[in-house]
Amino acid sequence: MLKPKSMTRAVIVGHKEVMDETVETLHDINIFHIEEYNEEDSTFKIGKPFENAGDVSKKLVQLRSISSFLGIKPKEVPKQDTKVLWAELDEKLALLESELDKKTEEKNSYETRLKELDSLQKELEPFVSIPIDLKNYRGYENVSVFTGTVKGDISSDISAITNDYELEFDPDRLTIALFVRKDNEEIVAEMLADNEFREIRVPNMEGTPSEIIANVESERNTIKEKISSLEKSISDIKERYSDFILASDEILSIESQKSEAPLRIATSEHTFVIDGWVPSDEYNKLTRKLESSTNGRVFVSKQEVVEEEEEVPVKYDNPKVTKPFEAIMNLYARPKYKEIDPTVLIFVFFPLFYGMILGDIGYALILLGLALGIKKMVNSDAIKPLMNVLIYCQISTLIFGILYGEFLGFPLASLHTEHGIEAGLIAGFETINLFASPIGGEMVTFPIHRTHLSMTLIVLTVLIGIAHINFGYILGFINMRRMHGFKHAMLEKGSWLVVEVGIALIVLGYLKYINIAIGILVFLIGFVMLVKGEGIKGPIELPSLLSNSLSYTRLIAVGLSSIYIASTVNLIAFEMIWPQGGIAAVFAIFVFIFGHTLNTALSIIAPGLHALRLQYVEFFTKFYEGGGKEYSPFGYIRKYTEE
Amino acid sequence: MVGEEAITMIDPAGLKAIGAGLAVGLAGVGSGIAEKDIGAAAVGAMTEREEMFGKGLIMTVIPETIVIFGLVVALLIS
Repeated sequence: MLKPKSMTRAVIVGHKEVMDETVETLHDINIFHIEEYNEEDSTFKIGKPFENAGDVSKKLVQLRSISSFLGIKPKEVPKQDTKVLWAELDEKLALLESELDKKTEEKNSYETRLKELDSLQKELEPFVSIPIDLKNYRGYENVSVFTGTVKGDISSDISAITNDYELEFDPDRLTIALFVRKDNEEIVAEMLADNEFREIRVPNMEGTPSEIIANVESERNTIKEKISSLEKSISDIKERYSDFILASDEILSIESQKSEAPLRIATSEHTFVIDGWVPSDEYNKLTRKLESSTNGRVFVSKQEVVEEEEEVPVKYDNPKVTKPFEAIMNLYARPKYKEIDPTVLIFVFFPLFYGMILGDIGYALILLGLALGIKKMVNSDAIKPLMNVLIYCQISTLIFGILYGEFLGFPLASLHTEHGIEAGLIAGFETINLFASPIGGEMVTFPIHRTHLSMTLIVLTVLIGIAHINFGYILGFINMRRMHGFKHAMLEKGSWLVVEVGIALIVLGYLKYINIAIGILVFLIGFVMLVKGEGIKGPIELPSLLSNSLSYTRLIAVGLSSIYIASTVNLIAFEMIWPQGGIAAVFAIFVFIFGHTLNTALSIIAPGLHALRLQYVEFFTKFYEGGGKEYSPFGYIRKYTEE
Repeated sequence: MVGEEAITMIDPAGLKAIGAGLAVGLAGVGSGIAEKDIGAAAVGAMTEREEMFGKGLIMTVIPETIVIFGLVVALLIS
C-alpha cells in the first residue's frame, strides 16, 4: 500500500546446456521480468533463438491467418490438455487448412462464374425483345448486320435508301438489329451515324436472347444456393475448430515466447547471463525452482540496486478492493519505483468527490444497475475495472443522495422557505433544521438542500480543496525527502506550506487578531524558500494556490447544474405537460424518460471527469511524477489450456 | 398624456438574472475557445496513438475550470 512492490535485481548465470531448462522454468513461474540485453560494446552477444522458433512461428502465422479469416473471437471454453493438443496439432492444422482451402477455392470459382453470368446478362439485355437467334447475326457473305442503339425509329430513313432490308426495333430500349445488302453498307452506316447509332456487339452464342437469359437466371440461382451451402459449411468448420484454434494459438504463442527468449539474453560461447527483476518476496521461489529444474547448474545472485540509475519495473502492491483504480492510475502514468503510489488515495477521493457532485439516489440506483449489468454481460478485461470503479462511485453517490435527500432531481423532504412550503416526494418527511450556517444567513438542514445552501457549500468545497491540496503538498514533501533529502523537500514542497501559513496569518492580522507584520514575515520566509527551491517558476505559480482551491467549487457547481437539469425535466414533464391529460400524459412520460436518460449519461461523464480532473490536475501536480516502467514478467497466463 | 412622463423601472432581480446569465455564458465561450485548440490537438494525438485517449480527455477538460468559475459567480449573484 502506498508503495510499489519491492523489487530485487537478480542475475542468472549458467552453462548453455541448461539454457533451455532455465527459460522453461522462468516462463512457468511467471515472476521474472527480463531486462533486455543490449549488445553494445560488450564481449557478450545476444543469444540465438532455439531451433524450433522458425517452425513454431510458421505455424503460428498459418493459424492466425486462418483464425482471422474465420473471424474467431476469444470466448470461454473448457481448458484443453497441452499434451493432447501438441500431439494432434500438426495433423489437425493441416486438415483444417486443406478443408478450408478446398471450400474457399470452390466458393471462389462459383463466385467467378456468377460474375461471368452477370456480365453476359448485361450484354444480352439490349436484345431481349428481339426474337432472333444469336447465331443468325453472323456468317453472311452479302449481308451486313448493324446492331446497337439509335435515337428513335429509323424505318422511314432506311426505306429512303433501299427497300431491301430487314429491321428489328425495340422502341423501349431503342435497340435495332438491321440487315442490309453489303452494297448499301456505307450509305446505311452514314444514315445511322446521323441517327446517333452506337454499336453493341452481339455475344457469340446460340439461341434467342430471352431463352439465354432465362437459363442464366436459373444457373445463377443454383450457384447462389451452392455458395450459401459452402458458407454454411465454412461456418461449421469455424464452429468445430474454434476451440482448437484458440487453444493451439495459445500453446504456439507460449512456445514462440520461449523459443525467442534467447534474443533477450546475453550469451558467450558456453554461458548465458539473464539479467532482470523479481519481486523481493519471490526471490527465494525463483532460486529454489531454478535449482531444482537444472540440478543446481545455474547460479542466481542478488545485485545491489544502484540509486536512481536503474529503471526498476513497477508492480502495484495494493489491497484487492483498490485494484480497479490502478486503471485510473495507468491512464495518467504508472508511479515510479521510489514514489508514493497514490492508488489507495484515489480509491478514497475519487468516489468521494464523484458522490459529492452527483449525490442522487435515483441516478445512483440506475447507474449501479447499469454497471452491474455490463460487468456481468461483457467479458472484457478492459471494461471490468472501469465498471468496478463506477460501482464504487455509485455507492458513494447513494450515501450522498441520502444525505442530500434527492431522487431524480425531486427533493425527498418538504422544505419551509420564505416563499412558502416546497413539497417533497415523500409525504410527511420534513426537513429538520440543524443549525444556522455562518455564511449567507443560510440554515444547515437534514437532508441538505443543495439549492438552498449554495453559499455555505461553495465555501465548504473551497475548504475541502485547500485540505486536499495541502495533503498533496505533504505527500510531495515525503516523496522529495525520500528521493532528494530533507533540504530539497523543505525548499520545494515545505515552502508552499509556509507561504500558506503566512497568507493565513496575514488574513488574521488584517482582521486585527494579531500583528499583521508576523504574517508578512512568515510569508516572505516562505517566498524566499520557494524561490530557492523552484526558481523563478515558484512565484509565477503562486496564484495557482487560489485558482486550484477555487477549482474545488465544482464539487457543488457541477452538482447543482445536474440538479437543475433534472428538475427542469421534471418541471416540463409533470407541471407543464401532464396536467393537460389524455395523450399529453403519454408525452409527459416520454419527456420524463428521455430527459432523465440524457441526464444519466451526463451523470457518468460530468461528475466522473470533474472528480478525475481534481485528482489529476489539482492533487497529482503537488506530488506525483509518474513514468515508471511496467513490470511484465516473462510468462503467460493460460486461458484455454492447462498442462 | 400631457405632463406625465413614462417611467421605466428596471427590476433589480432582472438585472441580476442578466448578470448571472452573462457570467455563465461568457465563461462558457471562454472555456470553449480554450478547449477548441486542446481538443483538436488531442484528437490528432489520438489518431497517432490510441492510448492517448485518457490523457487527451483530461487535457481537454482542463479549461473547464473557467466555466465553473462562471457558474459559481452566477450562483453568488442570484
